[in-house]
Amino acid sequence: MEKFFELLTQMNPFDLVQVIFWGLAGAISFYFSLGNARVWTSISIGFFLIFLSQAYGINPWAHYQKLTAFHYIIGTVAIMTITHGFLEYYVFCRTFEISGNKLVVYLSTLGVVAISGFFLIINPTPSPNTIRNFKMVENAIWVFLCVMNIEIVRKIYAAIKDSDISKGFIAFGIVFLCIFVWRGSDLYLQIFQWDKDWQDIIAIMTEETSDIEEYIVRVQLSQDVSRYAGLLSGVSVGGAFMYMYRLLK
Amino acid sequence: MFLLPKGNPLFENLAVSKLNLPDVLTKLSNGTFTGYASFIFQSSTAILVFEAGKLVSVLVEGQNGKREAGFEALSALAELMVTTGSGALNVYKLSKDLTMCIHALLEGETLYKAQDLKLIDINSLLKKVKDDQMNGCLRIYTDEHSAMIFYKDGNPLGFFHDGASDIETSSTESQKIAGLPGAKIDLFSTQSADELMDSNLLEVTNIQKIWDTSVALHKSEIDKTNLDRQEREKKVVSMKLAELENTVKEIVGEYVGRVGRGIVDKEISDNGGNSCLIDADGTEKFMKGVERAAKLLVSGTNIKLMMEKLSAAISIGKSEF
Repeated sequence: MEKFFELLTQMNPFDLVQVIFWGLAGAISFYFSLGNARVWTSISIGFFLIFLSQAYGINPWAHYQKLTAFHYIIGTVAIMTITHGFLEYYVFCRTFEISGNKLVVYLSTLGVVAISGFFLIINPTPSPNTIRNFKMVENAIWVFLCVMNIEIVRKIYAAIKDSDISKGFIAFGIVFLCIFVWRGSDLYLQIFQWDKDWQDIIAIMTEETSDIEEYIVRVQLSQDVSRYAGLLSGVSVGGAFMYMYRLLK
Repeated sequence: MFLLPKGNPLFENLAVSKLNLPDVLTKLSNGTFTGYASFIFQSSTAILVFEAGKLVSVLVEGQNGKREAGFEALSALAELMVTTGSGALNVYKLSKDLTMCIHALLEGETLYKAQDLKLIDINSLLKKVKDDQMNGCLRIYTDEHSAMIFYKDGNPLGFFHDGASDIETSSTESQKIAGLPGAKIDLFSTQSADELMDSNLLEVTNIQKIWDTSVALHKSEIDKTNLDRQEREKKVVSMKLAELENTVKEIVGEYVGRVGRGIVDKEISDNGGNSCLIDADGTEKFMKGVERAAKLLVSGTNIKLMMEKLSAAISIGKSEF
């Protein structure tokens, strides 16, 4: 516990606020999944998983590299689960078909997370470079699926725009836009090797040099965009679920 | 219809609806019956004349005075027996000679028809009947009264008038009617009773086939009527169901939006068509399905209102079936 509080004090206040917002958003979305229809389960569980993926900053055991990698895998599972949920919702809007049950969704998500953990256990301890690869893959998937989700949400809104909750989907559109900017700017930095992880790696492990000094403005801008968009994402997810909860009440 | 002498009644007022024409005719034929059988229906009367078990004449007369004889009459009688729920059969035994006269009245050769009595010499006519040794029937009538004189070989067998039940020996009533203003006569002649014995309608017609055809025709008409009625009822039910379905769609659409109609369509299709709206089990499943889908689109408060409105509309709709 002491270590946990020590970590909190060591954390960048901005990152800490972001984790707190994701915590609130995760709690709201998880609560939302309990009292609502089955189709919402995947969506809300997915958003709850984002909190878990973001919580590595306050995880006392995050210095274990496998655990760090596990956070990024959970992040990937999170967006895949969310996308699955919105796809199901879209299918419902077109066919009015509702199948499956909540328990299956909970267990399936748990199963995928467990398999991911097992994958990490049976493989060698990931190097900082491998961990960075995990993070990059996660960001790439997030960026791609955010674009896809914005389109799905648009289509859902078009199908149900005269229903009570249609405006809630505009809120989710905003959520995905924020996440796209957040993850996109992060991915941009990673692709051009301007991210902090890469800088740390080349500083101690290789003799490679970086051109970061030449593009310091755009790097700085991308970093700022990533931080604020990340914060906004957490706030917007919490807000979107609270708004949706109000609409469905 | 004619009023005929009753003679010796064998059966009276037998319910026709319980009878089978071929059986009746076979019984009378096998019993070498002589006389006539009358079938009295509300709209028609049929007279069948038998001589020693032989069916010598059949006549069916409708209320409008239309007459049918022979094969047509038998067919008409069979049809009347099959189609009419009411009617009575009377069977009267008569002498061979009187039966011959009844035959003359029904199907004999018409020598005079509606002849004004003032314009003819009645004595000459009666003399002619006697001289020609005529077999037949002389009918004297006005608009209100009627009397008949039956002849065999030119000699009167007896007198019969409306209001009497049997043949009489006195000519008083006939003479009275003949003296009334506007009195007319009909004169019918026929062959002798022995000659009549040569013809038997039962031999030349297949009465069983006539009966079976009438029964089959009636059954097919009843079936067709039932089918038409069922189709009409089905149409009415399907129209009412379509109206109820539309009402349900309007209610769901009002709360859920345009996808509401799609939800109703899907639930109706999943529950075996719109008849589920009037079936207790089907309605329950339908309502659950709509509620489950609406939960993804509508607030809890609106779902409650929508479900209450739906229940009321379906209950009203059900009461109309």
